[in-house]
Amino acid sequence: MKKLALLLVVLFAVGFAFAQEPEYLVTDYDGKPGGTLYLSTTQGPKTLNDSWAQETSSTDIIDIFLDALLDADLSGNPSGGGLAKDWWYSEDQKTVFFQIRDGLKWSDGEPFTIDDVVFTFKDIYFVEGMTANGPTGYVDSNDVLPEIEVVDDTTISFTWSTPSYWGFRAVAWTNILPEHKLGPAVENGTYQQAWTVDEIGEVVGMGPFIPVEYTEGTRVLLERNPHFYAVDKNGVKLPYLDRVIFQIVPDLNTELLKFEAGELDIYAPTAENFPRIAGQAEEKGWVVGTGGPVTGSSFVTINLGHQDPVKRSWFTNVHFRRALVYLLDRESIIETLYNGLGTPLYGPVPPSSGFYNPEIEEAFPYKYSIIRARLELRQGGFDWDNAGNLIDADGNRVEFNLSTNAGNNVREAIGNILVESASKVGMKINFRPMQFNTLVTQLTQPNYDAIVIGLTGGSDPGSGWNVWRLDGGLHFFNYSPELRPDTIDPETYKVYDWEKRIHEIYVESLGAFGEDRYDLFAEFQMLCAEYQPMIYTIAQNYLYAHPENVHLANPNPNPFAGQLWRMYGIWKD
Amino acid sequence: MLKYIVRRLILAIPVLLGVSVLAFLVISAAPGDFLDQYRLSPSISPEQIKVLERQFGFDKPIYVQYFKWLWEVLHGNFGYSFEYHVPVFNLIWRRLGATLLLSVFTMIFTWGIAIPLGIYAALHQYSPSDQGLSVFAFIGLSIPNFFFALLWLFMSAKTGWFPIGGIISLNHDELSMIGKIGDYLWHVVGPVVTLGTAGLAGQMRQMRGQLLDQLNQDYVIFARAKGMPEHNVIYTHAVRNAINPLITMFGYALSALLGGAVLTETVFGWPGMGRLVIEALTSQDLFLVMASLLLASIMLVLGNLSADLLLAWVDPRIRYRFR
Repeated sequence: MKKLALLLVVLFAVGFAFAQEPEYLVTDYDGKPGGTLYLSTTQGPKTLNDSWAQETSSTDIIDIFLDALLDADLSGNPSGGGLAKDWWYSEDQKTVFFQIRDGLKWSDGEPFTIDDVVFTFKDIYFVEGMTANGPTGYVDSNDVLPEIEVVDDTTISFTWSTPSYWGFRAVAWTNILPEHKLGPAVENGTYQQAWTVDEIGEVVGMGPFIPVEYTEGTRVLLERNPHFYAVDKNGVKLPYLDRVIFQIVPDLNTELLKFEAGELDIYAPTAENFPRIAGQAEEKGWVVGTGGPVTGSSFVTINLGHQDPVKRSWFTNVHFRRALVYLLDRESIIETLYNGLGTPLYGPVPPSSGFYNPEIEEAFPYKYSIIRARLELRQGGFDWDNAGNLIDADGNRVEFNLSTNAGNNVREAIGNILVESASKVGMKINFRPMQFNTLVTQLTQPNYDAIVIGLTGGSDPGSGWNVWRLDGGLHFFNYSPELRPDTIDPETYKVYDWEKRIHEIYVESLGAFGEDRYDLFAEFQMLCAEYQPMIYTIAQNYLYAHPENVHLANPNPNPFAGQLWRMYGIWKD
Repeated sequence: MLKYIVRRLILAIPVLLGVSVLAFLVISAAPGDFLDQYRLSPSISPEQIKVLERQFGFDKPIYVQYFKWLWEVLHGNFGYSFEYHVPVFNLIWRRLGATLLLSVFTMIFTWGIAIPLGIYAALHQYSPSDQGLSVFAFIGLSIPNFFFALLWLFMSAKTGWFPIGGIISLNHDELSMIGKIGDYLWHVVGPVVTLGTAGLAGQMRQMRGQLLDQLNQDYVIFARAKGMPEHNVIYTHAVRNAINPLITMFGYALSALLGGAVLTETVFGWPGMGRLVIEALTSQDLFLVMASLLLASIMLVLGNLSADLLLAWVDPRIRYRFR
């Protein structure tokens, strides 16, 4: 019996000696462990199921406890530092290989293996009906999903029928899910109801903090993941913080008071509150700053496929659209709405993105100008009657409706300012904000004249495919009759050359890397600037504030990498 | 009496059915549906929208959707929330505690203050204190709740006497059992005062008016004339008669216990039912809205019933029987 025990001890010792140290991510942070980080959010999470979560109140928390193969760098592009130790392409660029870090564990101590990666894609993301977004995001320009192949214990490859940057990006950024936890739900067909807020104690992840408790409508408590895969430069296991608490604060004024009272460690001030925060910064010991314009854009879309021939003739007239661009006084909207803390936009890509093409500013210097607007209108064949009203070549008075969703004060201000300056050139715009769902119905039917609306975006313009492709579900400025057989008459439908070229750019961009990708989107921006299918307006600048004793991992918070970027490196003294 | 209650409850069934049909129709008649937020997502393709429409059952005609829902409800299944993917009553259940905490305390606060003050004001009609109370009550009534709540939070932030919103403190976990209860009570003061001062005026004026009515009745003069002590005249006779309409109001107040108060909840960050329902309404989370409407109707039926029973108990002239 004794011998057996001795043998076991020896076996264990040998086993430990040979067990390899997991392949940790080594970072150069130098912080102090411990402490709790207090954050705020306007709503609680709706679900913790990454495949069905739609709004940031849920995804903000999901992105903390789950991790993907690759991380994002400071400008919002794929970079190392995720679950993959390395990644590379085959020579023909059709295949991408990911090598995962060996010896990692899920937060519950179960081993993390290549099978989890296979499970995530093969059983969930590549299957129709398993996710809210569907598998479209992973296909290449031939509409084909990639083949998955497990090369060895730590390496997996994805092969498309043609080189696919967009598919690679989607794969690299998909949060990997644990097969040992979610496998049964997938098999039973109850995956959609898995990991709801009722099951918060069940979730496991690879991220730095794991949610352990949700007090309905009150707060979400996340605790440090003891098995997280990164260490700092002294070999201290990350993350530094012990706990993260999201307090649910629905009202922005209350949030401001809480930050001022020291109950929040990270704060995103509104433009309205920013001067007040900046004014107290020195006295209170706060770090306050601004980044570039945020990516969510507001724009005016004009219905080029309008069923009324008169209105269609105005809206499809490029000079008419350019006149509207000149008429929008972006600077004064920024002054009134954002205390000057905004950036005028003249195209779909914000200047803070690495894909921004500065040449459009020289080629098409659209600044607010009534005179230039008049010139454009004159060039477009418009004229004025004796009363100063704008009329088209056939003598019709130019008058149309503009709408937006009621309650959004940014969009309402844009509408009101546009109406006012349009009246200076005799153009009559009837501005009628309406309920959100009514607006969406009008927009997607489509039966509208012009609408002020916004969409979420990213640093890479590729995320706009659903808007810019001819067959896109949000191509609302000129839907094809195939997509909208009830409202669009094939007789009057017309595809414009620039519109077609933009479509081609988007198809090509799926497989375009590096320089080629930049060039394609530079051309896209030039086309948008010239033809103005949608009139871009303004974006607020990214604003941030936090006490000095909170040390961020991000040296330079910006719209693509915010204050919580690489949260495992944040520490407090 | 039991028979009467059973009869009332049976009569409530067609009412609830009617409510459910109307509610379903009205919600469906509103433009758009839950998938509208998906339709405006740049990453969801038109084909995927079709898949989702099938999954959520929006491709069927309204009456099919309704009967499917009703069938499930009759089997005790009120459906899943589209947004949370959990059974709707789980969501309502999770909000119940905080909602009741707030509404019960508000009720105690409002009624506990309004009735004595109303009586006092009636007994001192047109005196400076009566006038003062009226002014005070109407100020409470006329300040919008959200504004009062912000003022309260601002005061709390400046003085530190009360917490800045929420329902628990940051160190809640470290507190003892008594400490935790105290923590909840400390947090509920702000919302209760906000909602309570707004409701005060109505009940107080009602009480005052009713009591004044009674005090001018012949039987009061008679009681006084025969030398009954003033205390007895007022509290045993006049107040007892004056209280009837307030009991009916109390029934309504009971039915509002689970309703929540959206604006106050939002400013204070109170996790009550109001915010849940308003979010469900704006996102058109159909089954969640239906469940909350049904719950409100049930509460209304029960509130009315209990008001009627209370009336019978308080007022011996009222008797319910079958005909």
